[in-house]
Amino acid sequence: MRQALRTASFQLLPGLAILAGLFLLPLSYFFVVSFWQVRTFRLRPDATLEQYARVFTEYGGTLVWTLAIASLIAAVTAAIAFTYAHYCRFRAGRFGDALIFLSLVTLFGGYLAKIYMWKTILGGTGALNSALMVLGLTSEPIPALLFSPFAVIVTLTHYCLPLAVLPIYGALRGLDDTAIEAARDLGASGPRIFRDLILAQARGGLTAAFALTLVITAADYVTPLMVGGPSSNMIGLFIQSQFGNRLNSPLGSAMAFVTIACCGLIALFLSLTLRALTRPRT
Amino acid sequence: MRGIAHIGAALTAIFMLSPLAILVIFCFSESPLLAFPIEGWSLRWFDKAFSDPQFTNAFRNSMIVTGAVGVTSTLTGTLAALALAKLPPRLATATAAALSLPVMVPPLLLGVALLTFYSTWIGLPLGLPAVILSHLVFTQPLVMLMISARMASFDHAAVEAARDLGASPIQSFFHVTLPMIGPSITGGALIAMALSLDDFLVTFFTIGGGMTLPTLMWGMLRKGIDPSVNVVAVTIMGLSIAATLIGFRLTRYRG
Repeated sequence: MRQALRTASFQLLPGLAILAGLFLLPLSYFFVVSFWQVRTFRLRPDATLEQYARVFTEYGGTLVWTLAIASLIAAVTAAIAFTYAHYCRFRAGRFGDALIFLSLVTLFGGYLAKIYMWKTILGGTGALNSALMVLGLTSEPIPALLFSPFAVIVTLTHYCLPLAVLPIYGALRGLDDTAIEAARDLGASGPRIFRDLILAQARGGLTAAFALTLVITAADYVTPLMVGGPSSNMIGLFIQSQFGNRLNSPLGSAMAFVTIACCGLIALFLSLTLRALTRPRT
Repeated sequence: MRGIAHIGAALTAIFMLSPLAILVIFCFSESPLLAFPIEGWSLRWFDKAFSDPQFTNAFRNSMIVTGAVGVTSTLTGTLAALALAKLPPRLATATAAALSLPVMVPPLLLGVALLTFYSTWIGLPLGLPAVILSHLVFTQPLVMLMISARMASFDHAAVEAARDLGASPIQSFFHVTLPMIGPSITGGALIAMALSLDDFLVTFFTIGGGMTLPTLMWGMLRKGIDPSVNVVAVTIMGLSIAATLIGFRLTRYRG
């Protein structure tokens, strides 16, 4: 046993070294930098909350807008992902595995390629406008499809959907068919089974899907840059520009950590709500 | 009611697939305009992209990064998975959770944090080595998780039997353990490589001046209309999906 533990710790060494040296240390340093300042284009160590104050005063509106649109995207994505995973687990029969596999494959279709394709699909001469015109639903292209919050929502929902399906499907697969049959035999109604068995079982997966989508969406800047209009300025754009032309890493760091912390709070709130909703009742 | 469920699932599947399908169609379209209907088919954009020295250079850099990341993260991830199987359950869960932390951090944050760390603290020059180191952070956990999943159904009695029969730890590893988890290791490596190949955000901040396929694609998108960008996109997509398909097939990973 002792021998086995010693081998195990040697085997863990390289992995833990990568975790510590290239993740924990850089992130901690980056967090410390958020209390520093930039003076005459140089990073100066300090212990000031100035950057955080700037995040809330100068970028407060952008932050709230970002969190609102990210929460909406996360909710829509989690809802579609749940419906899809539920269908794959309970309705699709032998096609269930194939449908899940399909979502797994689209997970790896290319981050930039997906955003770029939505730009062409939603554009004036794009597939969606062409289809709407062929169907006679509109006589000329709708310009508002692209460069709008709508485009950001569609693009990011598409990007996060396969990622959200996985944890929910994983959770639903743990639910035994006999438990549902037993509940039905004991006279439980459809909605009752849905809430007390299926939703209770999927809770962890739903929270994970929502939280993952929320955090990815809130910190994205390529999507708002490519398909969002001037009205869809999200915080990621400002975070990114602190490392490009504005060269203010303390402010960029403060923005990033505030955004992540807010996402954490929103996800925690959702998790507690779901827990209250699916609490066992007598 | 039942009908609605079928239609909903079908629409979701179409929604997930259609952008990828449209991209493939546009690659073979003769016209430089990205619009339907497609008037003629040709391979000219492939010719144009593949003969561009920038593409060749970016392709080579992508292969270097992907190869190095694949080999290294597979080694460290596999070792970690082997170690987890030996630890007491609670410690193993905690260690696995700690090692998986990087997956939960958005790539933008990881990218700018590593950029700041490399350039203002340790003075590591930006470039391919910095990109490779950065990619290890988020690929290693995936290899570890995929091999751990296989180890959960692993028959430890086989290893003990080999040891009882006089095999050394190294012999029993190469003759018993490796043949059993081998496909999962290859599968994990391919998934890690697919992630590394497709990564844009972390690469963008840590590469400095050079280019990989995604950063080349980004440059082309920023500059404007060049239909050969479709070919760059389809190259990234094709390689990463092919790696994933083989990877999942080998690991028999299902959700």
